[in-house]
Amino acid sequence: MRDYVLPPALIPDREWFGPLFVYMSIIVFKHVTKRYPESGEALSDVSFVIERGEMAFLTGHSGAGKSTLLRLIPAIERPTRGEIMIDDVPIHALPARRIPYLRRKLGLIFQDYRLLNDRTLFDNVALPLLITGHNPQDIGRRVRAALDKVGLLRKEKCFPPALSGGEKQRVGIARAIVHKPPLILADEPTGNLDRELAEEIMRMFREFNEVGVTLLIASHDPDLVRRFGRRTLRLEQGRLLGLS
Amino acid sequence: MAFKRKSVFRQRLFRLPLRADTRLVDRFKAYLSIQKDSLEQSFGRIWQTPVASTLTILVVAIALALPVSFHALIQNARHPIEALETTSQISLFLKPELGNDVGRVLTEKLKKNPALMGAKLMTKEEGLRELGAYSGFGDALAALGSNPLPAVIIVKPAATDPESVSRLLVELKTLPEADLVQFDNEWLQKLQALLAIAERTVMAFSILLGFGVLFIVGNTIRLELQNRHEEIAVAKMLGATNHFIRRPFIHSGFWYAILGAALAWVVANLLILGVQDPVNRLAELYGSPYRLSFLGAGDTFTLLAIAMLLGVSGAWIVVAHFLRRIDAD
Repeated sequence: MRDYVLPPALIPDREWFGPLFVYMSIIVFKHVTKRYPESGEALSDVSFVIERGEMAFLTGHSGAGKSTLLRLIPAIERPTRGEIMIDDVPIHALPARRIPYLRRKLGLIFQDYRLLNDRTLFDNVALPLLITGHNPQDIGRRVRAALDKVGLLRKEKCFPPALSGGEKQRVGIARAIVHKPPLILADEPTGNLDRELAEEIMRMFREFNEVGVTLLIASHDPDLVRRFGRRTLRLEQGRLLGLS
Repeated sequence: MAFKRKSVFRQRLFRLPLRADTRLVDRFKAYLSIQKDSLEQSFGRIWQTPVASTLTILVVAIALALPVSFHALIQNARHPIEALETTSQISLFLKPELGNDVGRVLTEKLKKNPALMGAKLMTKEEGLRELGAYSGFGDALAALGSNPLPAVIIVKPAATDPESVSRLLVELKTLPEADLVQFDNEWLQKLQALLAIAERTVMAFSILLGFGVLFIVGNTIRLELQNRHEEIAVAKMLGATNHFIRRPFIHSGFWYAILGAALAWVVANLLILGVQDPVNRLAELYGSPYRLSFLGAGDTFTLLAIAMLLGVSGAWIVVAHFLRRIDAD
């Protein structure tokens, strides 16, 4: 698949946005700048492409703009300048009422899990399906499948405070995959976990990737990233330093 | 090339494939089940926080019960007064020097007038007897040497609308035998004016208290929103529309208002029950078949509908404000 595509860093500069290119790429950043009125530029002139079916890492020190970049994709933040295409949708021009439908195509995984502590694991994982309006039988089937995949099916009636950190993150992952999104974004998914758990989570990500899901994973742990040997976007002070 | 690139972007913009990947029938079924679940869940949530919810419902109930019971009482007062209106009569006082005979002749003449339903003569002696009986001045009147009262003809107008009555009054005043024509309905009109004032006052209070209900429900929903702030943030992150987030809170507002209105209905009827006995005794004293009535089906429906509207809009306003603030963050 890769052979058909030019080196991603070059594409935006060549200004080539033909239909084939659009089909092949799931994330396209083109000269994206994000400036905050208080703290200045968090991202400056960032351009890159993530292909469909790719698993890529995003590294950099804290404050380098990783989180900002990941917040631009689900349109939590809007770019100050530049163009962003996610799964063929120009989100720099996306009207606010369309944003929920964009987010339903994404699986978001957070460092602090963001689970609802007053709901069971089942209800936590079912939330994306409730939001999209699936019928109850469908929800039951899919939620159990997702919990099974992360190995927490036995605990579906537990509440998140009763879980360990690794288990919580697995619930977060189940919630991110339950609606079968084509693209998963993970912001420091292993930031609060020890090495072994981190490895386990990463293996899980690789399994998803093998069935065709695109993943963009932000991590400040260079060892972990290196061990997986995937394409890496390195950010420093809001600039994209390069791909490796 | 630049042109082509732009057109691709534009195409994508207008052909957004961003929709739920479910069939329409499923979506409708899901919609119904979501509505039902949400109504049940918001009721369950009210049930789970009994103290806070009861307080809100009680305040809503009191705010609604006050105008509703006043309204019911005024409506109750309106019925007997309207009944009185049809029995209105005109007293035609003859000149004092004219005797009962003249009165009798005039009565016969008036009876033939088509504008009148009837005419009855009250002779000087009858008048004296009635005054003695009702005023308690019997002895004093007996001490009078002669009868100072004129003969009176009680006239019943055929039509009771103010215009024909006033025309009739003018006609009667021009009679050579007439000394004074008095329309006994004037006190009734004054009473009605008073009633109208009371009605307006109740209306003004109702509007004020209606705003009260709006704010109470709104404030309760606001607290609930703050408690579930994290949940809302997560749901928004996972692609929840504003509609999805709004729904349970609108339903909470609905429950607060409906439960409050039901309680207000009970309270208003209890108030009516409380004043029922003395009012009925008063009606009996007047020999009237009138009995105080409770809130009817129409009033009950109006109460529930208005309460629902207030509760839902109170919740809506607060949630809309909250969502706007979240979106701005």
